[in-house]
Amino acid sequence: MPSSSPLRRRFLPRTRDGRIVTFIFAALFMLAMPPVTHAFLNRIEPSFFGVPFLYAALFVVYAALIAVLILAYRRGL
Amino acid sequence: MMETWVVATGLIGIYLLVTLGLAVVAGRRLTVDMEDFFLYGRRAGFVVLYLTVVATFHSAFAFLGSGGFFFTHGIGFWAAGAWTVLVGAITYVLGSRIWALGKAFGYVTPADMLADFYESEAVRIAVAIVSVVFTILYIQVQAIALGYIMDVASGGRISFEIGVIVMLVVAVVHLMIGGLRAVYWTDVLQGVWMYIAIWAGALLLSFELFGGPFELWRRVAVERPDLLTLPGPSGFFTPGMWIGMVITLSFGIVFQPHMMIRYYTAVDGKTLKLLGATTPIYLMTLYIPAALVGLGGALVMPELEAADRIFPELLFAHAPAWLTGVILAGAAAAAMSTLDSILHANMTVLTRDVYQRYVARGKSQAHYVFVGRIIVLALLVVACILSLTKSDLLVHIITLSGAGALQLMPAIIGICFPGGRSLSRAGVLAGLVVGMIILWLTLVAFPHPLGIHGGLWALLVNAAVAVGVSCMTPPPSGETVARVHGEVERFIAQ
Repeated sequence: MPSSSPLRRRFLPRTRDGRIVTFIFAALFMLAMPPVTHAFLNRIEPSFFGVPFLYAALFVVYAALIAVLILAYRRGL
Repeated sequence: MMETWVVATGLIGIYLLVTLGLAVVAGRRLTVDMEDFFLYGRRAGFVVLYLTVVATFHSAFAFLGSGGFFFTHGIGFWAAGAWTVLVGAITYVLGSRIWALGKAFGYVTPADMLADFYESEAVRIAVAIVSVVFTILYIQVQAIALGYIMDVASGGRISFEIGVIVMLVVAVVHLMIGGLRAVYWTDVLQGVWMYIAIWAGALLLSFELFGGPFELWRRVAVERPDLLTLPGPSGFFTPGMWIGMVITLSFGIVFQPHMMIRYYTAVDGKTLKLLGATTPIYLMTLYIPAALVGLGGALVMPELEAADRIFPELLFAHAPAWLTGVILAGAAAAAMSTLDSILHANMTVLTRDVYQRYVARGKSQAHYVFVGRIIVLALLVVACILSLTKSDLLVHIITLSGAGALQLMPAIIGICFPGGRSLSRAGVLAGLVVGMIILWLTLVAFPHPLGIHGGLWALLVNAAVAVGVSCMTPPPSGETVARVHGEVERFIAQ
């Protein structure tokens, strides 16, 4: 019975797939947070069709995060 | 040819009539049942739930505040993408667990869940107070925005005050007629309308004024490069502010009663997980046109003082009348969809957690539904009074509102993540009280110390106090912990 396992780590996903997806999501999310945003992504060039680097890079990160959530759903996590 | 203000005001009028018409149809399907009136009978499917969640999350804030923020502080507001994605993840993980507990134990309000687990009426009262006090600020934001929209749409012919009153009355009447079903049905319309409207408006303006979105970006890079890097022209988006806004505007908004109640209404847990996985698509992409509006507006109308008005001002100056009307009606839909949801949530909390619990126990379902409708009328009066206080930067008020609900986070996580020692009722209460004091200090008295958002300061101190006090006071009974955490574990194992 799961509820009889008080020593189970509170925030640890229960399955291997769950742990992988959580790790990927967390790692990607860190790319959208300081210091990455303010130190590494914080520039206009190179731009993508005029869209500044910071904006475009964050868009890619956000899209990847959404893809991870959809992957988690499709795998039934 | 009709003038722009006639078309804009007329389309908003048509939108309001459609809203009331939907409420009448919804009202005919209503049963005299609290779960039906307050929770849509816990039968909300994916499409309805999706559109009501996104329409409720995105309010006047998305239409007016976000454009104003890009206008004033530049690209830093693209942090919005991070908090909208986080909302999806929170819904996926926490929302589905909250749904499972609501379904298993018949919870109607957030306070139901917290009071049950922490075995405390004091916790119920504290949560109800936080729920109502901070979301009333949100009512104020939406009402002010609706007043602005009517004022702008009519070219000043309908005053701000009249606009506020008309919109509030429509929101209250359609809620009284059809309950949450009416709110959900109108949210479907509003969710679609506002998305199309903001994209259509932003694209039209970018082509009209700059030759397209990409050319707009190039012009901003040349003329206002200060808007395209962090921390922005006035140094607002420091790392601490970025993190604080991401946490406050994700967890803080999700923990507000009008969002948490939506979790209870899902037809099943799988629907909520699909909701969590896909809502960021809508939520995040709505800020793309907002960036075009705000940044483009900074080039075209740099002298504009009221930043929140940039979108409607650009439309009036550069868009055809019919499209301006459609878009301003979309802006009204954005504010209205959040306003009616908050009114509904406050009505539910006051009816369930206060009236049913402490004033009149054991009455019929019809009685509580009737009282709920009376409470909505009272909220109408409160909202009208509050709306006399105007603000140009809506996002600041939203942040304060989100920061208040954020203080429920330690207690909710203690319920939804089984394992280890539970927080105690004394710990939760102490954390909430201290959190509120710190919130006042770091948002009002000494705003955002060290460039870190006040809501985050309050949350950190709140969590530390909650854990510290819980170590010295008894946790909830083993029976309750096993019952509630056991249900969470069962849901996870499915």
